[in-house]
Parts: sequence; C-alpha cells; structure tokens
Amino acid sequence: MALAVAVLVAAASVFLMQQRSDGEVRVVATTTTSLYATGLLDRLAEEFEKLHQGVRIEFVAVGSGEALRRAADGEACMVFVHAPSLEKKYLDKGVLTGHRFIAYNYFVVVGPRGDPAEVRSAGSAVEAFRRIYEAGEEGRARFVSRGDNSGTHVREMMLWRLAGLDPRGRPWYLESGQGMAKTLVMADELGAYTLSDTGTFLKLSLDGRIPGLELLYTNSSELINVYSVYIVSSCGGREAEAARLFADFVAGPRGQEIIASYGVERYGRPLFYPASGHEEMLRRAWEMLAGG
Amino acid sequence: MEDVAAVAARSLWVSAAATALASSWSLPLAYLLATRRRLRGLASVFESLVGVPTVLVGLLLYFLLSRRGPLGFLGLLYTPWAIVIGEAVLVTPLLVAVSYRVLGQGVERYAALAEALGAGRREAMLFALRVSAPGLLAAVVMAFSRAVGELGVALMLGGNIRGYTRTLTTAIALDVAMGEYEEATRLGMVLVALMLAVGAGLRATRRLMEP
Repeated sequence: MALAVAVLVAAASVFLMQQRSDGEVRVVATTTTSLYATGLLDRLAEEFEKLHQGVRIEFVAVGSGEALRRAADGEACMVFVHAPSLEKKYLDKGVLTGHRFIAYNYFVVVGPRGDPAEVRSAGSAVEAFRRIYEAGEEGRARFVSRGDNSGTHVREMMLWRLAGLDPRGRPWYLESGQGMAKTLVMADELGAYTLSDTGTFLKLSLDGRIPGLELLYTNSSELINVYSVYIVSSCGGREAEAARLFADFVAGPRGQEIIASYGVERYGRPLFYPASGHEEMLRRAWEMLAGG
Repeated sequence: MEDVAAVAARSLWVSAAATALASSWSLPLAYLLATRRRLRGLASVFESLVGVPTVLVGLLLYFLLSRRGPLGFLGLLYTPWAIVIGEAVLVTPLLVAVSYRVLGQGVERYAALAEALGAGRREAMLFALRVSAPGLLAAVVMAFSRAVGELGVALMLGGNIRGYTRTLTTAIALDVAMGEYEEATRLGMVLVALMLAVGAGLRATRRLMEP
C-alpha cells in the first residue's frame, strides 16, 4: 500500500514537472496515418522547429475520420488529412478554418503478380475496378477493402460508384476495417487486389513485407490524392499562432521543397508532389471529391 | 455497420471455444503442476506470463499461420479459427496459474485430510478436485473475460473482416478509428454486459453443482 502511494506521488511529480513549461508552445496536430508513417511530417516539424525555437509540434497519428473528430472535439489545434468528402462535413460544421493544400500524389491499384483481372492494361481506374469486379464474380480474383471510412476507403467507394457497381456483400469482396499497412499484408496473404496510398505501398514493398503484390495501375486523374492542412476554429492564443506559422511553413517555399524531395533517396521516386503551383488543379479535384 | 447481435454472437462463440480449448490443456497441466513437486518451478513461469501482450501473441502466431509460415498450408489466417487458437494460447498462462493455486490448496489441505481419514489415494484426489471446482470455474470465467475482451489477437489473426472475423473489440477499434466514439461506447457496453452475463451464468451453474 505504502509502496503504491509512493509510486503514485513520484509519477504525479514527474508529470507536473513536465507540465511546467518554460514558455514553450506545444501544438497538437492530428494526422492521417498514411502521411505520418512516411516520416514526412516529423521531417517538416524538425526543420520548422529550427527556425522557431520554443515551438513544439506534436503529432497524433490516427485515421482521417478520427483525426477530424479529435480536431472537432478541440483535442488538436491543426489537422492533416486527405479525405475531401469528410473534410467538407467538418468545414460545413464550422470547426475548421485556414484550408491549405500541401501536397498530392496518386492512389495505386495493387494486386497479385499474375494479375488475373488484367488491371495492368486497363484504360482507366474505373475500368480497372470493373475488371476486378468481373474477375471477382467469376471467382478469379478477390479484393480487400479498408472498409473504415478513411480517405483511401472513401476514394475506393467513389471508384465503384463511378463504375456503376456495388461490391459490398459479394463473397470475393472483404472489408478489413484496418489501416493501410495491415490491409496490404492481408491482400498479399490472400492474393487479392486493393487500393493503397503510394507511401505505404512503397514502404512495405521495399521492406519485403508484401512480396506477392505489384503496383498495377496509377497516375490517372481519378486516383489523385490531395493532402490538406487545417487550423481548428476552437484553437486560440499562442498555440493557434504557432499552428498558423507551421501551416505557412509547410505550404511555403522551404516546406514545399522538402516535400518534393522527400523519400527520393530511399524509394527511388518522390512519395509526394508539392501542391505549390498546382492549386487550381487541386482545388478542382478537391471540389469534385468533396461533392462525390 | 454490421448487425451488433451478429458481432456479439461471434465474439461469444469464438471466446467460448478459445476458453474451452485452453481449458483442455491448462487444467490437466495445472493438476500436474500441483501434484508433482518437481514441476512447481514451472508454475511461476505461467504466473509471470499472465500479462503477456495480446499483440505479441498475435504477432508470433501470425508468423506461424502466415501463408509463408510453417503452418501456412492450413489456410487458417484470417478465419475465426485463427482467433480461437490465438486466444486459447493467450489465456493459457492465466488459466494455468490460477488453477494451479486452487488445485494446490485442494490437494495440500483436503487430499491430505481425506487420506488421514482413511481414504485411498484415488478417492482423496477426487475429493480434492470436487472441493476445487468453484475455484476452477472462477479461473475459467477469468480466462473467458480476458479472451472476449482482448483486441491484439483478434485483429492480427482474424483481420476484422466484416461479416466473418469482426468481433466486438475489433469493431470498437474500427469505430474509434472512424471517429464514431458514441457507437464505440455502445459496443463497449454490449461487451461488458456479455462479460457480466457469462460470469453470472457460470456462477449459477456452479451453485447447481454444489451439493
């Protein structure tokens, strides 16, 4: 009993000591896992903190849905996401402001090396999905869906809708309800197709975690993946000020430069394209996706 | 979201099967540990492993069951059976550790007493087992509770596939990831209710078993 009390007191005092900040500003940012897991955000924060001593950016990496929900609950001051239709919901509620595009890339359709649905030669992403559906119905292919309302899942549902098909409930269509990495591993295990963000796929592929999967289709306009940053309306004071500075930095020349070159060394190709210079194109794509 | 009743029913049968499977080897093992002095050291190993991380058990079994793993040919990964096996392994230390204590006391006190009163070795052991029954049942309830409430194994080995391997805990994790905190809380209540109901059900059975 006495020991338990002593441990509690010790833990509490350590906690309090950490709270007594020496004028340091902490900015909590929620972010989608796919963006955080590549390491890009930490790299950006590191550069930013060199310029702004006394500011610490802390990331909470969760799914897009949870990232926005936590932001709306006032648990974060800024949010990095890639799910326009979800973003629009929260924008309409008035909990987000200061929308900036920061980067974009393309979703990738990946599948077994043998490519039984012949996705590789499809003329568009929608046609690729139609071929997967047909192959699925004929028992030649399976598809693993995120099924978690994430940015990637929202896009996948949009592609099925554009193809005029509804795969939910079909025996070849599995919903994993998990993050991208686990969904890719599942697709690899089951020899199935899936839709992935570029970063997660390249990372797992390079690490040898998904030897059975190959990139089969990408870089079409239907697969564009737009990353945005927002400031949370309820956030104020020095934290909001610091958050705005960080958003400016990421969308500004130095941040965009880092984004453009990030990952080239390790993956042999950039993971993200900088948003700067493409705002008009991204705006159009964002609005189409937000409405879709 | 899939029908809550279907998910709850799946959670119930998967965890019940896992508990039954774990009992089939844990209770005999605990009996051996309690009756053979040389094996007692092993009991403390099980006691220390009671809190083994669920995700570690999930990960190790994943390597075993994965398509490229040694047992990959069985095709068990991402099936409810994989969760049953994983949870059975997970609750084994708890089940062995608690049953060992219960049986140890039963054997030490009551079997000795029965022998002193003139019972044969076999009779004395049966008597000790009967006296230990309520404690063993409590161990089984704890094992079920740990199995039905764990997330790591169900997620790693089951894969949270909708309509197939989605359990209450993986459904809760998914709702949280989607920002659906209210739905997650609702499922959490269902899970707690399920734990309480099974505990109460087994306690009622125990009362029936008592003379």
